Amino acid sequence: MVTDDAHRFTGMYDECRQRVWAYVVSRAGRQVADEVVSETFAIAWRRLDDVPEHALPWLLGVARNVLRDSVRAEARREALAAELRCWTEGDVADEVTERMGLLRALAALPEDDREILVLVAWHGLSPKEAARVVGCSSAAYRVRLHRARKRLKQAMAGSPPGAPAVGPRRGEPAQPSLPHVRNLSEEWS
Amino acid sequence: MNLMDELRAARPAHLGDRPVDPRTRDAELARAMARPRPARRRRAAVKPVWGLGLAGAAAAATAVVVVVSGNGTVPTPRGPDGGRPVAVSPSTAPPTRLRLSARDVLLAAAEKADRRSEDSGDYWHTASVTRAVFEAARGGYRVMTHERSEMWTPAAVGGEQWGRDQSLGARPATEEDREAWERAGSPGRIEVTVPGKRLRMTLTTSPGKARTSHSPLVDGDKVFWLGRNVTMKDLLGLPDDPGELKRWLLRSYDGHDTESSSVPMGSDAWLFRVGAGLITDMPVTPRVRGAAFRMLAGLKTVKVIENVGDGEGRQGTAVAVEEHVKGSGVLEHRLILDEATGQALGDQSVVVRPGGRRPGFEPGTVISSTALLEAGWTDAKPS
Repeated sequence: MVTDDAHRFTGMYDECRQRVWAYVVSRAGRQVADEVVSETFAIAWRRLDDVPEHALPWLLGVARNVLRDSVRAEARREALAAELRCWTEGDVADEVTERMGLLRALAALPEDDREILVLVAWHGLSPKEAARVVGCSSAAYRVRLHRARKRLKQAMAGSPPGAPAVGPRRGEPAQPSLPHVRNLSEEWS
Repeated sequence: MNLMDELRAARPAHLGDRPVDPRTRDAELARAMARPRPARRRRAAVKPVWGLGLAGAAAAATAVVVVVSGNGTVPTPRGPDGGRPVAVSPSTAPPTRLRLSARDVLLAAAEKADRRSEDSGDYWHTASVTRAVFEAARGGYRVMTHERSEMWTPAAVGGEQWGRDQSLGARPATEEDREAWERAGSPGRIEVTVPGKRLRMTLTTSPGKARTSHSPLVDGDKVFWLGRNVTMKDLLGLPDDPGELKRWLLRSYDGHDTESSSVPMGSDAWLFRVGAGLITDMPVTPRVRGAAFRMLAGLKTVKVIENVGDGEGRQGTAVAVEEHVKGSGVLEHRLILDEATGQALGDQSVVVRPGGRRPGFEPGTVISSTALLEAGWTDAKPS
């Protein structure tokens, strides 16, 4: 059984490690990413029996909780700011200016919006899977995704960061309190 | 191009699918897999509470019955690890096998357990050290991992369960292994083989950081697993008659392993595993603990071994059941009791017949063990 477990775990690691790392970097920057990733996979090993076949959303959910529980918000903000700067600096070739504009707009969005967008666009999750990661219903996720896209568009159109277009949001669907991964895994098992 | 497609295409290169740096990969896999796997046994809250320190309970390599005592007292107040460099089988006298006195031993222990007083507190707290033996990839020696695990389970509904885990470092398993390790240059990082697997992992001899985690109780009130998820109230209301307790437990028995519905398991083995968990880990009244002892004593397949040393250098009498593993190997799972106090000291898994994925481990080798250090009620929890 150890063989099977080790085999399965290693396969899962190879398949998902960089995706988990990229997710953590996109939420908290590079400084803490390795530590969070390492802890995430340590948890996945301990709880291998709970990890669903399609492991990535589950792993992202665990990483999300690890991030929340073990990384100070302050440290996270600084590292994230550095990461967001790095998305939009250094590459000035003409053909990428549109891309730069988009990344700048993305970097200027509120964190929740950015996460909602990035889970689907960069990490390849379906809205249903992404909903499980952030702990809301698929329906709520679709609404939030729709709004985040709208705000991204507005931000690209040139609203300065912090303007109402990306500002406080109202009328969001009610969210359950942050779920623990346990609940997710129960749902999936 | 649609906005989401544009966004997809705009992903910064470093967040794309690049290969993992091999050294990072080795280190992360080793760190994850060096930790024991509790999920196989699920002795605590069943859907294991994420990130919680249940890890120390299990040995990476095998499904074991873990044992802890638990009566609000500390069995042997000593350091987390007792500082013993060598601890495979510290008993001085060779273990003696008896065949017939299982009942007597357990009944004696049950009486002691019955008489213990009850305490109370906000949290049920246990601390244990789990050891597991691995083979070094080079140098022909074995190393033993040491993991300290603590758990705090709230008495109140709606609370959070807390855990703390810390690797205490890997060390050569025996004096002989120590010599071979020294000949290999006393490396601080030791590559070991994972049984039955080509993958190697790296263990370090230095202690790791303690990791504390917490999470709400399953469903807000489930605290342990006892064939099914149970609440603190369930535990305190368990029958204190061995027959009734057995019937209560067997209601959750479906003819298969506690960890996998596809693995058949006899009712004796199942009751031994579940009952041992109850005795060692869970906050039950002394009378219920005594009833669990008596219930185990009534199992036909339980046998008794005297003078068994645990990983902390303590000695006790073990009750044991055998498990047939793949490749015609046989393992023996022992629950070690201190007859003088009625406390459980810990558990261990011993090779009876080599086979399966550890053909190189001789009969008598303790491949994994857990020693209970503390079990009792407290008002304090980590923060």
